[in-house]
Amino acid sequence: MISTPRYLGRGSWLGRRDPRVPLLVGVLAAATVIQIWDIRIVAVLFILGQLYYRTAGIPFRLVRKQWAFAIVFVSILVLVNTILTGGEIGDYDRSDLHVLFHLPLIGTPISAESLSYGATQLLRFLTFITIGFPIAYAIAPSDLGPALARLRIPEKFAFGVDLTYRFIPSLAADLQETIDAQRVRGYEWDKGKGGPIARVRRTVPLIVPLTMNAIVGAEDTIDAMDLRGFGTGRRTWLRELRYDRDDRLLVGIALGIFAAITVLSVAGLTKLWVFPPLLAAAGG
Amino acid sequence: MSSMTMERSMWSIDSRTIVYAAIGAALYGVLALFSVVIPGSNNVSVRPAFAIVPFFGYAFGPIVGLFTGLVGNAIVDQLSGYGLLTAWNWHIANGLVGLLAGLFAATSIARLGGNKIIGSAVVAALAVAIGFLFVFTDMVVFGNDFNTALSGSYLWVLVPNLIASVILVPILVLAWEPLKESLGR
Repeated sequence: MISTPRYLGRGSWLGRRDPRVPLLVGVLAAATVIQIWDIRIVAVLFILGQLYYRTAGIPFRLVRKQWAFAIVFVSILVLVNTILTGGEIGDYDRSDLHVLFHLPLIGTPISAESLSYGATQLLRFLTFITIGFPIAYAIAPSDLGPALARLRIPEKFAFGVDLTYRFIPSLAADLQETIDAQRVRGYEWDKGKGGPIARVRRTVPLIVPLTMNAIVGAEDTIDAMDLRGFGTGRRTWLRELRYDRDDRLLVGIALGIFAAITVLSVAGLTKLWVFPPLLAAAGG
Repeated sequence: MSSMTMERSMWSIDSRTIVYAAIGAALYGVLALFSVVIPGSNNVSVRPAFAIVPFFGYAFGPIVGLFTGLVGNAIVDQLSGYGLLTAWNWHIANGLVGLLAGLFAATSIARLGGNKIIGSAVVAALAVAIGFLFVFTDMVVFGNDFNTALSGSYLWVLVPNLIASVILVPILVLAWEPLKESLGR
């Protein structure tokens, strides 16, 4: 039930890269995909994303639940967004849509455009997720702080992220201990009837003690940092980072794709592509 | 607002700010796994642990609140498999809630009703209602139209998070107040 960060890409080709590389590739990929509504281009990027994902060597059996959650999550998201919200599509006027049929009961028009839009949206999400997995599993948690700092992120923010990742395993253990302790007293957070309010109230015996214990325990960390003069000078990091040839190549490719897609987008060549068979079926 | 603001600016970033911010983000990340997707919604989860964001903003200031929401939500998305950058604008929306809770806690809003229970609940509710307006950026990020962003994103995140915050933030504040005194904060 309780998840903590896992370094599953250890030793893989991507895992051996400078930890700044997956972060940069992720940001560039997000900035690239956001510009595209032509599913043919998104499909090419999705395939490239899958090849990139494979270099992280993340064992599928260890992330099966995460993949299942992500796919179910985005599928429902796309279904609701594109089909059940009145059938409206971005810049399209309703009169321009090629309606195939209307949903029974609610009467939402399902058009060639809305189905193409939904399929594109789904593939866009899957591309985002594919690129996101290596950030989660192919960067050693202890490398995140130095990686962010070397990417010119303010060093106190970078240190905060580093510290957050260090706190998660101990807080997860504390949470499990709290659950066990409350269970001994007959408390089961996931049992019992009631709606959202009742469910929220049932988490009080877990959230309150865990939060208060964490805050009290934080005092030791604050004292330790103060005693070592935290914030009195520029921080250095034990881990040294240096790009090698493969790192530069990978970032260069991501940058090149971003630049090419930006040019195509400015030229208006990345707009929604409607499947011709659907247009034909709608009599368009 | 806590007594510490008398000694420190709410914008100062020192060891205390960073440690509380990291604790807040880690707590949000760990506890947010208690979540239930609302059936039929835009797949928005009810996360009771969301109350951690306005609470840390209220108790420790806007910087801590901002970090707790921003980094905490990013961690939740990462651990769940949804991805760090898939909905990056939602991380910012969560961060804004924490930031606003910290700002409102320093105003007379926090003293509404003459006690901390009502004051903290109002602070949390306002922070949630205003901070999550940022999810309207879904119109740019995901190409949604206004109605989808309103009904499929904003309202569906607003209602469960309001419920969680209005119930849990006052309880957390009540638990924190005596501790704050004993810790000398």
